[in-house]
Amino acid sequence: MTSVRDVGAAWRLYVAAAVLVLVAQLIGIQQLDLGVGVIMFLPLLYAFVLGLVLNPSIVGRFQPFLKSREVAAASPLIVVAIMPFIAKFGTTIGPDIEQIIAAGPALLLQELGNLGTVILAFPLAVWLLKLGRESVGATFSVAREPSIAIVAERYGLKSPEGTGVLAVYVVGTLFGTILYSVMASFIASTGVFDIRALAMACGVGSGSMMAACSGSLAAAVPEMESTILAFAGSSNLLTYATGMYLSLFVALPAVEWMYRRWGRPEATPASAGASTGGDR
Amino acid sequence: MSTAPTPALQPGARTPDKLPLGVELIALAVVLPMGWLAQLIATDLSPGRAALGMLVLAAIAVLGILIARPTARLRLPAVAWVSVVGILASIPAFPWGGFVVEMVGEIDFLALSVPCLAFAGLAITTRELDIVKRSGWKLLIVGVFVLIGTFLGSAVVAHLTLGLMG
Repeated sequence: MTSVRDVGAAWRLYVAAAVLVLVAQLIGIQQLDLGVGVIMFLPLLYAFVLGLVLNPSIVGRFQPFLKSREVAAASPLIVVAIMPFIAKFGTTIGPDIEQIIAAGPALLLQELGNLGTVILAFPLAVWLLKLGRESVGATFSVAREPSIAIVAERYGLKSPEGTGVLAVYVVGTLFGTILYSVMASFIASTGVFDIRALAMACGVGSGSMMAACSGSLAAAVPEMESTILAFAGSSNLLTYATGMYLSLFVALPAVEWMYRRWGRPEATPASAGASTGGDR
Repeated sequence: MSTAPTPALQPGARTPDKLPLGVELIALAVVLPMGWLAQLIATDLSPGRAALGMLVLAAIAVLGILIARPTARLRLPAVAWVSVVGILASIPAFPWGGFVVEMVGEIDFLALSVPCLAFAGLAITTRELDIVKRSGWKLLIVGVFVLIGTFLGSAVVAHLTLGLMG
């Protein structure tokens, strides 16, 4: 999509998207009570899954209506379509700005919690699954676009590190919304965590994951909706601002160090250090 | 860190997601009615009232997009600027704060996210499916734990800090 004409040419895509929105909204929020906790199913999830069903690269049957041209046009529209949603999140922060500032220390510190990717996933990748340097690219961050840029620059996307970051990127793209909506509502219904803490944890630096996460939190605890949105939105904004630096200057050096110490020795090239810069 | 070549931001040979400004604004006009449609089902707002709410949100989005262009050096994505504009637009102490909150307060945020996810589902390419096939099951498991890790990490730190602060 580079010209106004391209926007018009993709009209079939808008028809498909509008139908998906209609169907998803009409189904509405559904919940599944597992006894130990409740799982929420949100309209955004149906829209995504039904979108996959209509997607000609996944289900060839719809090829006559939607073609790869429409699929290509859909990609930049994700970012455009999230804008009103992000704007709405911003407007939930303003009225609660004093409460947000009061929770400032917690908001700032929980950004460090994004290093949880390293703590949880690195041992799994290296010790349990015996992965090579893919582990470095896969676990230093939640692998959204800024992380791909970091890996592309430092290792190249064709490197093992590149394979790692791309794999996690795609996992997030395909399963992020469902995983976050299920996890957030389930953990919220167990009552172990402060709901504000869970709301902050929703701000992982991806609009759709934040939507799924805070949406299922709000559906689980409706009386806290405005607080949940304000905290999730603030945390997400902070992640946009700080996430890339945390990944680049803390998480990636830490993972490199851990890999040199505990990783597969035969898979560690001599030049693996962070000091090699962007020349590969 | 040297300046990353723009293609590096794109996973592989996907079409560049960065739209020219005019195209981006028109695309915004195309997606707005979908958000409006979702509002009509999700809320009790009248069609006109829902449209007003959507227009206020669109104005915030456009301002954010316009700020993001000349400040690209700061490496803050447009969505970050849209957040900032949204915050500034809704602070009650500002003269416009009450109006903005009244206009968008009843707009359902969950319904607003639905068009975006519809496009996300429609945008998955064979390329991404190829990455899944090539990565192997181990990396896919790692991916799931990465997603869980960032959530739990932040939740634990935030919970403990809120507890300490009382």
